Amino acid sequence: MSRTYTEAEAIAAIDDLDGPRLIAFVRARIVQPVQAEGQQLYREADLARLQLLCDLSDTYELHEDALTMVMSLVDQLSTMRGDMRALMQAVATEPDEVRTRIHTVVRRLR
Amino acid sequence: MAGDPYAALGVSKSASDAEIKKAYRKIAKTDHPDLNPDPAAGERFKAASAAYDLLKDPEQRRRFDAGEIDDQGHERPQQRYYRQHAEAAGNPYAQDYGFGGDPDLSDVFGDLFGQRGGGRGGPGQGGFRGFGGGPGAGQREADFTMRGQDHRFQLEVDFLTAAKGGKTRITMPDGSDLEVSIPKGAHEGQTIRLKGKGGPGYGKGGAGDAYLTLSVGQHPDFVREGDDIFTTLPISIDEAVLGGKVAAPTIDGPVNLTIPKGATTGQKLRLRGRGVNGGDQQVELKVVMPPQVDDDLAAFMENWRKTHAYDARAKRKG
Repeated sequence: MSRTYTEAEAIAAIDDLDGPRLIAFVRARIVQPVQAEGQQLYREADLARLQLLCDLSDTYELHEDALTMVMSLVDQLSTMRGDMRALMQAVATEPDEVRTRIHTVVRRLR
Repeated sequence: MAGDPYAALGVSKSASDAEIKKAYRKIAKTDHPDLNPDPAAGERFKAASAAYDLLKDPEQRRRFDAGEIDDQGHERPQQRYYRQHAEAAGNPYAQDYGFGGDPDLSDVFGDLFGQRGGGRGGPGQGGFRGFGGGPGAGQREADFTMRGQDHRFQLEVDFLTAAKGGKTRITMPDGSDLEVSIPKGAHEGQTIRLKGKGGPGYGKGGAGDAYLTLSVGQHPDFVREGDDIFTTLPISIDEAVLGGKVAAPTIDGPVNLTIPKGATTGQKLRLRGRGVNGGDQQVELKVVMPPQVDDDLAAFMENWRKTHAYDARAKRKG
């Protein structure tokens, strides 16, 4: 199990985060902490996400609707990057002839 | 950060606080490592945010300008970047990005990466949201035999259905409807297995199972702890003074509850066997004043106080 943080610990860990801000993010479901024993626990990924949300709200002055949209795009792109990397690694371990065949098809399509 | 924080932000030493903030925001917009994958941009952002941390505080800036502290100023906690989590396998926020609905590629795609929750459900949806991995339906190699994948879902159940048991209908990802029995006394986090309702098997392999993890909703009047139910029951002053029978709500409908003479706020009464699965219901009384204190009541109290005054705070220390 990876470590989780309580609401107070999350606020303490991130400089730009305060209580009202955290509540707003959670209420808008941009951050979805895990529910456990009546309290909300934040994972490392939630903390990193909160840091990015603070950065985005401060630098672009984004409000919840816009943040939701931006984070959805960030999530899509990040997921795609992770998938693409895994796929590239898989392709890289294939023999040359398979890679050449894939290369040919990709070239034809794009 | 090594070097000149003013250079990192691209401002002069005489820049105003507003100019410094503006310069930092400009760099954050173009070079934030969560938005720009270029490593050089990440370095620029790191230098700029360290510089901004130092210069945004007028006192720190003064001390830096006076040579009292170096450009490291103070130790900033390790900056967190979302990207390293967002791209990692198992990121809870992973999102489908469009191949799921592609008629030609969804099989290949699902086979490689599994299914993901595309977008998250809106607030308060009585929802059913899949996050299981599952290969697409039409696997073509017939000589390959493997049991279908198990799918995992989260199912929200309302408070009373969980307490009393019941049936609820769910829609499976393939669009089929299914009736699910919720056992009496189902609790938060409990898992229900639906045999053969997971992904289809390959070749001669059987279908996988579906696992539903329950999350139990809240109730305006009842709170549940294990098999016991807790509720707060408002009573009038006359009921508190004189005692009597009042109707108390339970999960199976109202029952008569005998209020003892002289009941008080916070007093707890137990209704045996009225909880879940033979548990109890605990009723906490709360004395409520009439909406308006009329002359009769005031006059009576004035009179009563003369001879019967008591110290409601006698047990309090200090």
